Amino acid sequence: MNTPQSVNIVMIEDDEGHARLIEKNIRRAGVTNEIKHFTDGTSALAFLYDAEDGPAKNGPALVLLDLNLPDMSGTDILTRMKSDGPLKRTPVVVLTTTDDKVEIQRCYDLGANVYITKPVNYDSFAQAIRQLGLFLSVIQVPDPELEG
Amino acid sequence: MVTFSERFFGRFVVSAIAAGFVLILLAAGAGAFVFMRTQENADLIAHTLEVEGAVADIRTLTERVEVARRGYLIQPDSRFTTTFEENARLLPDAIARAGMLTSDNPEQRPRVEELKRLSAQQVQILRQSIADRDGADPTAVAERFMNDLSPTAIRTIRDITEAMANEEETLLAERSATQRRDLAISYAVLGLAGAILFVVAGGTIYVVRRNTIELAASRNRLRLMNEDLESMVQERTADLQRANDEIQRFAYIVSHDLRSPLVNVMGFTSELDAATRPLSEMMDRAEAEAPGLVSEDARLAVREDLPEAIGFIRSSTQKMDRLINAILRLSREGRRVITPERLDMNQMLRGIVDSLQHRLVEGGTEITLGPLPTVTSDRVAMEQIFSNLVENAVKYLKPGRPGRITVRGKRQGDRVVFEVQDNGRGIDPKDHERVFDLFRRSGMQDQPGEGIGLAHVRALAYRLGGIIGCESTLDHGATFRLSMPVELNA
Repeated sequence: MNTPQSVNIVMIEDDEGHARLIEKNIRRAGVTNEIKHFTDGTSALAFLYDAEDGPAKNGPALVLLDLNLPDMSGTDILTRMKSDGPLKRTPVVVLTTTDDKVEIQRCYDLGANVYITKPVNYDSFAQAIRQLGLFLSVIQVPDPELEG
Repeated sequence: MVTFSERFFGRFVVSAIAAGFVLILLAAGAGAFVFMRTQENADLIAHTLEVEGAVADIRTLTERVEVARRGYLIQPDSRFTTTFEENARLLPDAIARAGMLTSDNPEQRPRVEELKRLSAQQVQILRQSIADRDGADPTAVAERFMNDLSPTAIRTIRDITEAMANEEETLLAERSATQRRDLAISYAVLGLAGAILFVVAGGTIYVVRRNTIELAASRNRLRLMNEDLESMVQERTADLQRANDEIQRFAYIVSHDLRSPLVNVMGFTSELDAATRPLSEMMDRAEAEAPGLVSEDARLAVREDLPEAIGFIRSSTQKMDRLINAILRLSREGRRVITPERLDMNQMLRGIVDSLQHRLVEGGTEITLGPLPTVTSDRVAMEQIFSNLVENAVKYLKPGRPGRITVRGKRQGDRVVFEVQDNGRGIDPKDHERVFDLFRRSGMQDQPGEGIGLAHVRALAYRLGGIIGCESTLDHGATFRLSMPVELNA
């Protein structure tokens, strides 16, 4: 059984405000895992695959992914993670403003585990994030496939 | 210019063909004339020859009679008298025949009469001399023979017959000359007709050919223009499609990018709101426990300014959120795939009216649905158009006047015109276009709404190949008229 503390939460979200609100509301749900925040895709990928304390080399992780990033689309990261390699079983929660049906389908096709649309209404947003936090506190996360 | 030359061409061809026919008739007439003349001439030649034959007969018979008499005078033998009588008997017949043949010729008639007389006289003399030979002495006979009038008569007969023959020859020559002249004239006419026909035919062929070439050229030009036009239309359509796609994408991106900061504004507003609660509790405690610490400013800030500011921020962001959602909906509607199907508009409108039943009964509003034509179009779009129009009609009735709403439809060629008419408060004519703009409204702002409905309706109508307009005067109701194709080609 995984200890919750061992799971890193990697949040890839270009909007500082959103990131702050998400973090606050996850914490309010009682989730105490470490949350690593990246505002662009490049540094996020670098952390996911190459960092010493990153998930590919060091322990299980859960990714909160926004699709609108300044340097690439969130789906690029999703594709890279889910195609093959050490992170293909790492849960990815797509958390974005887009509620376009096609986009949602595409993300699930690419292997997203959960797709959540950020509600614009703050109360719903806060509630959704809190529920996500509750969800995160109970789900099981597999270990990454360590290379070599 | 084109019309003129075409008219000229038409007239020319018709008159040329008519002239051609006239000329052919003329040629036929000339031919017939020549043929008749030839026929006539042949008859005349035959007649002349016959006359000549008759005259020759007279001469032969006269000579034979003479020869027979002489023979008898030399050697009185009954064979001579037989020959004499035979030929003498034939002579009057021959003369009569010649007379009959030349009865139409005044020149010949006296000659024939003369001939008849002379011939009779001659035969008489000869018969006398034969009779004399029978009874008298040869010397007297010889004398009588030398003295009688027979040779003179014969000479005269010869002259006359010659004259007759000559007369006929002359006539024949005259007639031949006339015929040759006629023939020449006919040939000239024929030749002229042929020449004119040739010219007319040549001209007609030239003009027809030129016209045909022009026609082919203009047809080619037309085809080229058509193709140009088609490619132009295609190009324009592609341009429009591109522009439209761009607008859709723009609307989509804008609405998304606007949403993100809005989440922050609303989120942190909520945080602020949440933060005022402990502040306000602290203020309560401070007021209760140490009123000296509470300044009027701080009290006002916590009790009034902060909640008020938060309230305005909230309501504004909520409104902004609704507007962004409206743009998003329009953009999404624009990208939705249109699927035309046969739509029973009567049934659709009944459904829309049923869904509004509660409000209709409440306001005492009556809706009359005329018989509506069936169309082939997109169901969702049509439903949205009509529910928007009918809802608007119900929504903007004149207070205190029972609502009367009529939905009509009729077919006009390959289009259908629908009308939604109400007796409500109407729209100021200066706002007739404005009401179709996004976020624009008209008249008293006493009803909830963002000014999206009609913009949406117009966008949908355009997508279905239709147009929508409004006719109204203030206070006298409004009529919204939608014209769209009966059959939508997807």
